[in-house]
Amino acid sequence: MASSPPSPSGPPAEGRRPHVIYLAIGFPPAAKSSTYRMRETANQFVKVGWDVTVVNIARESWELDSGIDLSLLDAVDPRVEIVELPLAREDLETDLRLYDEARALNPNGWVASLRRRQTKTFPEPNFGEWRSDLEQAVAKIHREKTADLVLASCVPYVNLAAAWKLWEDERVPYAVDFRDGWSIDVIDGVEAFARDSEEGRWEKKVLDQAVSLWVVNDPIAEHYRTRYPEFADRVHVVRNGYDADSSPGRVHNADPDKGLVFGYLGTVNFSIPHLETVLNAWRAAREKEPLLAHARFELRGHIGNGANRGANRHAEVLKEAEADGVFFGGPAAKAEVASIYAGWDAMVLILIGGRYVTSGKVYEYMATGLPIVSAHAVEHDASNVLRGHPLWTGAPGLDVEGLTESFIRAAHMAVETTDEEHAEAMAHANQFTREALMSVAVKNLVEELAK
Amino acid sequence: MTEVLLVASTWPQYGVLADSVRKFNALGARVRLAGTFPMDAEGVPEQLAESELAELHQLPRNLKHRSQALRRRASKSPAGLRVWMQAGRDSWLRSRARKADVLVALDPGAVYTVWRLAEFNRAAPARFGLAPALKAVEELKAQGGTAGARGSVLPPLHAITRDVKRTVDHLPAQIVRAATPRPVMRSGVGARLWRSAVTAPGMPTKVRAATSRYVAEGMRWAGRTSGAALTLADAAAKIPDLKLKADLYDEAAMQEIGKGISPRGIEKAVAARLALADAEFAKGHVKEAAEALNRALFLDFHRVLHIDQLSSPLARDAQGFVAPLYRSTAMQALSRPRGRRAPAAPAPTDRPLRLLVTTSANDNFLHLIKEHFGDHPGVELRYLDLAANKHLKRISWAAPRMLQDRLTDGESDYHEEVERLMRPHLDWADTVFLEWAAGPAGMLTTIDPGTTRVVVRLHSYEAFTRWPHMTDFSRVDDLVFVAPHVKDLTTSLVPMLRGEHAPRFHVLDNAMDLAGFDRPKSPEARFNLGLVGISQVAKDPKWAIDVLQRVRKHDDRYRLLLVGGDMDRRTSKATRDYLREFEQMLQPLEESGAVVRLGPTDDVPGKLVDIGTILSSSVREGCHVGLMEGAASGAVPVVRDWPFYAGKPNSARTLYPEGWVVGSPQEAAERILKTTATEEAWRAAGELATQHALTVWDWPVVQKHFEELFLGEDLGRK
Repeated sequence: MASSPPSPSGPPAEGRRPHVIYLAIGFPPAAKSSTYRMRETANQFVKVGWDVTVVNIARESWELDSGIDLSLLDAVDPRVEIVELPLAREDLETDLRLYDEARALNPNGWVASLRRRQTKTFPEPNFGEWRSDLEQAVAKIHREKTADLVLASCVPYVNLAAAWKLWEDERVPYAVDFRDGWSIDVIDGVEAFARDSEEGRWEKKVLDQAVSLWVVNDPIAEHYRTRYPEFADRVHVVRNGYDADSSPGRVHNADPDKGLVFGYLGTVNFSIPHLETVLNAWRAAREKEPLLAHARFELRGHIGNGANRGANRHAEVLKEAEADGVFFGGPAAKAEVASIYAGWDAMVLILIGGRYVTSGKVYEYMATGLPIVSAHAVEHDASNVLRGHPLWTGAPGLDVEGLTESFIRAAHMAVETTDEEHAEAMAHANQFTREALMSVAVKNLVEELAK
Repeated sequence: MTEVLLVASTWPQYGVLADSVRKFNALGARVRLAGTFPMDAEGVPEQLAESELAELHQLPRNLKHRSQALRRRASKSPAGLRVWMQAGRDSWLRSRARKADVLVALDPGAVYTVWRLAEFNRAAPARFGLAPALKAVEELKAQGGTAGARGSVLPPLHAITRDVKRTVDHLPAQIVRAATPRPVMRSGVGARLWRSAVTAPGMPTKVRAATSRYVAEGMRWAGRTSGAALTLADAAAKIPDLKLKADLYDEAAMQEIGKGISPRGIEKAVAARLALADAEFAKGHVKEAAEALNRALFLDFHRVLHIDQLSSPLARDAQGFVAPLYRSTAMQALSRPRGRRAPAAPAPTDRPLRLLVTTSANDNFLHLIKEHFGDHPGVELRYLDLAANKHLKRISWAAPRMLQDRLTDGESDYHEEVERLMRPHLDWADTVFLEWAAGPAGMLTTIDPGTTRVVVRLHSYEAFTRWPHMTDFSRVDDLVFVAPHVKDLTTSLVPMLRGEHAPRFHVLDNAMDLAGFDRPKSPEARFNLGLVGISQVAKDPKWAIDVLQRVRKHDDRYRLLLVGGDMDRRTSKATRDYLREFEQMLQPLEESGAVVRLGPTDDVPGKLVDIGTILSSSVREGCHVGLMEGAASGAVPVVRDWPFYAGKPNSARTLYPEGWVVGSPQEAAERILKTTATEEAWRAAGELATQHALTVWDWPVVQKHFEELFLGEDLGRK
């Protein structure tokens, strides 16, 4: 077993800029939560003098998934090459004329068997069968322009197969950005698969030879260091951070006479009971607290995918809550984010999972300098990040009474805190600008590679 | 104008639909909705009216008026095909589909119907979901708004040949159906004739099986449920193929179970499955053996036999009931004790005991335990709800996988999964306290607990299920019962609990905080009988009505107050039948004010203030919490001698003080009339009941027993 990073295929030839193939499925214009991290990673590579070829899937394919936001492309360094492969998630197909009879008869059963079939090529439902296309695409890019590094951002994990193939065939070193981690189910906080499962064997094989592994928080890093002690020194925490241009950039003055506005911006990916708990607390707080009597709660983001896009049970629950001042405004373009935050008086941080989940949202929320209501498990990595934030209501857990008090406390914070306190809250986030975090990460990776 | 046709097989999300229709309209589209869901159900017309749809059309909601053969085919078809069978002949739908510019399925059940309609309109985009449909309309708008030439209304040739072939495939069914029409089956002679026909000698196995199924169907159609069951069982007896025999016996039993009746042929159905399980097990076909065994256990412990009835064969003769089960070699392999490699370690002395309290969702009886030990200096408590985590929930009730694992001696991937998910919890805990000896007990004992002590509590209903038979009690250190009669029954049923690998047994009363129940009662309460908890057939509230009617003959001031939610009609046919009879009895009594239904409440102590006599009318109980709370409140307890246990060494008579328990409604009425004859007598009897409850069952008393269980030194560790 390898216990030290592998030797790269050699330094780039004299005068040639080093080249990284960045497997970043979810790169702009896809509107995924990981998009910003990918964009900043690519930009930082360019900044340190590298050529970057991003491998993504066709933009049409994102329309049925998390959607696209063309404004995200604006901040991609123009020197970044983007290769879009004609791949799509077959399970999300909604054109019935492309269905065979078996699928039409039993759409859910058909998708279940599709997923089983997909894992035969690579042990990952929905994506496993992309393996060969990705392997060929990476080989082609390398043939046309020699690569010095492959960086695979997962999900999807099938990216690892392409990085591995190029390593096996051409000895091009690779690094992995797991973000959330594969062998840990970050939502439920349990091991996602055993070491001797197919996924387990893939993970071990790939990580053994990887230059570096990035993950988003300490608990996940700890999981990997414990699982692969021989690899511990190559595991790095690269937090998500926030984009400075998403921050409203000024202190905020709430106007309770107009009615306070609470906001949530992000994918609506939490469970129905979770959403209902938040809405029940919101309702109770409005009844109890005069400051909230005319308050509104705006949610913006993507909801559902495939046939359920924009039309799942969550959308219905939100619709039913309109009488309580709840408003779901659909997806927001990245370019609008700062102005959306500027119109809000407090943030509602609704997050799934527990100690292994951080979520990029928490940083962006902090940077608004607005009071934050935490609607997530008590033991959550977001609590670690928020600890010390002067306008945080604390995390009472998914408990209606506790959350009701949090909404009330946030309402008071929104109208009673001084400009200085707002500024202090915004300053708490300074340490987490995405640019600062990613520039260090990329710099370290390049140095690691040169060792 | 772009014509959009939406098809739904289930209630759409109305708010989202209304929003989308507005968006369609804004794009210049006209939207129609056709659905097989009931459009006139309560609240639906109002919801749909708000959605600005151009037209609504109710498609046939079921196949009630269609042929028997078609309905049989439908029952075995995927949901999508069933919807098409209902809707495909609807002329409105066909006509609108041919003229539509965009065809849309709103849910998975409607996909096949739209897919078929799209064969008749080959120009229109056909989409699944509202957002893709909106996108299709936007694209069409860019091209002028319509799907253009609609072309031929004939479907493609391959679709026609497919349909013809299907018709031919179903010819034999139609022929048999013609010979077994309803009038023939309604006549006793006709039905007997056909029953004897399925046992005629020399008939090929497959023909015998197929014929018996058609005959049974005809009988069921004619209202002869038991005749249908007998027909299938008669044919099964003549069939040598073990699998087919077991299937037919199974179908026979399920005919009656489906009607809420305890099947007469259940023993044969179970025996046939066990024979199949043994044969497969002998051949080394573990998966098939596990499936057959799973089905045998499912039938043998079906809730219609034991839970939704006023009696159970299991309670009458527990050992006799399970004897055939344990004669099976596959069952013997399943129940072989695997034991543990190391004994449970003694409780630590240098740090608090790490106690993991776990259950699957139902924590009704855990609150005081969690509260007490959560604050206990000698205990570090963690609570794990297995139902709150999808991985743990999936393994907790996975009966077939559990069985397969036992039959492979722990070599299955289920074993690996339980190991992976539960080991971290076992590694942390010194003691695991598992509430309810059901699925999670089977799951937890799949793996060796290491040196962690495992304590399981069995309340009562579990004894009537298959789960204790799938639990490896050699990996349980302590089994806690809530009453001696439950212990007697369970140990009679489960051989492993009588062997050398049996855990230690404890009988501990349920944790109840009774002090808050002792509140002053008004003089009027003397004439109010009360029953707390009526949500299951086993509570037998009809018995309480009988008692009420007897006391009202003497004094019509007596009333019955019912506290708690009603039975859930969806539980089973047996429950629905009981509920129907109960409601019929109740109606005139409610109208006259003799019975008052107070419904579900969070404030039982508040309701008990008005109750002077507390009844336990159940046919079985572990310990009747509602009754004990009533006693604590100062209501006079009147307890039916629970028939499941009456006459046995332990029963309601040994659990409660002398005098509380009665043998019949008449005896109950006499006790009530006597104890409530005067206010002084009534209050004195109530006071005695309160004293007993508070000195025996109240939490300050019971908590000591739990402390002893978890922390006591007297309990020798294994």
